[in-house]
Amino acid sequence: MAGIGGAETTGKKVGWGLLNAVVVIYALFPVLWIVSLSFKSSATLADGNFIPREWSLENYQNIFSTSEFTRALINSIGIAIIATAIAVVFGTMAAYAIARLDFPGKNLLVGVSLLIAMFPQVSLVSPLFEIERSLGLFDTWPGLILPYITFALPLAIYTLSAFFREIPWELEKAAKMDGATPGQAFRRVIAPLAAPGVFTTAILVFIFCWNDFLFAISLTSTEQSRTVPVALSFFTGSSQFEDPAGSIAAAAVVITIPIILFVLFFQRRIVAGLTSGAVKG
Amino acid sequence: MAEIVLDKVSKRYPDGALAVQEVDLEIADGEFIILVGPSGCGKSTTLNMIAGLEDITDGELRIAGQRVNEKAPKDRDIAMVFQSYALYPHMTVKENMAFPLRLAKVDNATVEKKVREAAEILDLTQHLDRKPSNLSGGQRQRVAMGRAIVRNPKAFLMDEPLSNLDAKLRVQMRTSVSRLQKQLGTTTVYVTHDQTEAMTLGDRVVVMRGGVVQQIGAPQFLYDHPANLFVAGFIGSPSMNFVPASLENGSLRSVLGDCTLTDRVRQLVEGADAPREVIMGIRPEHFEDAELVEATALASGGRFTSQVDVLESMGSDKYAYFTLTGEQAASAELQELAADVGSDDVPGEGISLVTRLSSSSGAVEGAPADIWFDADKVQLFDPSTGRNLTYTER
Repeated sequence: MAGIGGAETTGKKVGWGLLNAVVVIYALFPVLWIVSLSFKSSATLADGNFIPREWSLENYQNIFSTSEFTRALINSIGIAIIATAIAVVFGTMAAYAIARLDFPGKNLLVGVSLLIAMFPQVSLVSPLFEIERSLGLFDTWPGLILPYITFALPLAIYTLSAFFREIPWELEKAAKMDGATPGQAFRRVIAPLAAPGVFTTAILVFIFCWNDFLFAISLTSTEQSRTVPVALSFFTGSSQFEDPAGSIAAAAVVITIPIILFVLFFQRRIVAGLTSGAVKG
Repeated sequence: MAEIVLDKVSKRYPDGALAVQEVDLEIADGEFIILVGPSGCGKSTTLNMIAGLEDITDGELRIAGQRVNEKAPKDRDIAMVFQSYALYPHMTVKENMAFPLRLAKVDNATVEKKVREAAEILDLTQHLDRKPSNLSGGQRQRVAMGRAIVRNPKAFLMDEPLSNLDAKLRVQMRTSVSRLQKQLGTTTVYVTHDQTEAMTLGDRVVVMRGGVVQQIGAPQFLYDHPANLFVAGFIGSPSMNFVPASLENGSLRSVLGDCTLTDRVRQLVEGADAPREVIMGIRPEHFEDAELVEATALASGGRFTSQVDVLESMGSDKYAYFTLTGEQAASAELQELAADVGSDDVPGEGISLVTRLSSSSGAVEGAPADIWFDADKVQLFDPSTGRNLTYTER
């Protein structure tokens, strides 16, 4: 019996291992291909080799030689961080209210915010374009930050209210009894416990802002506020005869770095079981 | 430290449900008072109203002579220990205990000193730098107590603080809670559903049922002189036996045999304008094996013979259980008590009886025993209202 059981689990293990390998390769191969492309010189760009025959940093030097890319990088980082910060702060407060309070129109509020998240963004681009032009927000940082917050907030509220619901209600009562104002109770007891939720949300919102192409290409026109995904699409190569694929690959590699850093930085704070020990469990 | 006065305090929820009805209670400075009752009797609601966690619908709450109905919990200067402890999991034991002081903007040196003192009292000194998740249940409970005592509040409120502990630890903590309260001399309101805690801890006990106070008094007084069926059945473990009985010309007739009422009981019953049909209540310790009772005493009590169902020998005495044929005593109060202990869905055939006999009793399981009870200790209740017909202030 034990032998058969063992064989079965070994078989299962191999099966799962294979499946995992396929998924990992499927997900990572394009990334590796881009990395490989980015290290090829322009002459060997189209040779089809997976491992570059001659390694060169030419593409990286190219993209950083002009302000087109560096400026876009600054725009992207600035816009994404500001939008994330604002969305998370407001999202935290809104989610807390939704999780804790019973106020008239609560379900309506949650419904409307979900509706916003489901609304096809492409149908909003033209009206937004007109609105921003008449308000003078077109091609500015706030012009992108505002729509990002709008679309990130429902996501933030939804994720965060789930986290808030898990925090024992009695902790807040205890804080009140210990002499805290509602504000103090929130800042010193509830918010620290919701930190994993806040960081998770921050990561999600940041990735959403960072990757957005639709709003960025529609609501910007110059280097002043153009973000990286858009700048990438404007890459032309140093001459019109040159294929910009190498530069695009290099830029693509560069823009994944902040995301990885951001996720790694916050992931350490996403610790499970932060509320354990609060109440008898 | 201060006295707390509840003046016709009521709580009505928005849906119209009346959770607490006109509670009148004066808690003296330094008194240890217990609110006890089955679940849903309004004891926790009353505590939360004193704490300020729930609004008072009607009536007035005064702490140290000041009306505090409208004051926020933080301005009432009272500390609370929760059933779930509600420790802040992201803070160490020290930070947990220092939290009320930090909020009160006490300077660092004082915070340090007070936390040390509290930790010493509660034997937590070596755990100060640990997080709540690494503590045992008893230690968590002590941290919760520590958080309450550090700032010398006017009063402590405790909401079933021991009910999450295992039985042995609970007994241990019970004595330390009692000692701590004596040591600090702080007014304490303690909520529990456990009548043993109520009996052992409090200076006075408030028995509640359905949002209404049934009786207030010292534990021994409640035990000896319950105001009604509910208090009689709730206080005491094992609980009082209830048997339907009828009064005829100064004698009491029941399945426990006829007995003549003693003068004391007769006077009380006559004064109370008793109906003919009553419920007779008698505590297990007022029974005895008839062979061990002197002849003079035998005459002043009732006697019956029945087969012993179960005999539990506790060493110091023996518990004998009987099932007598007859109708069970019926009343709303008794049904509620049965529901609270979960025995209402066990339809018992006949009347079950618990008796405590001397350890030298020769009663044997499965064999008939001759049992005597003390007629002077009998309590008689009105079946329709539950009122104790033999109630006396003495």
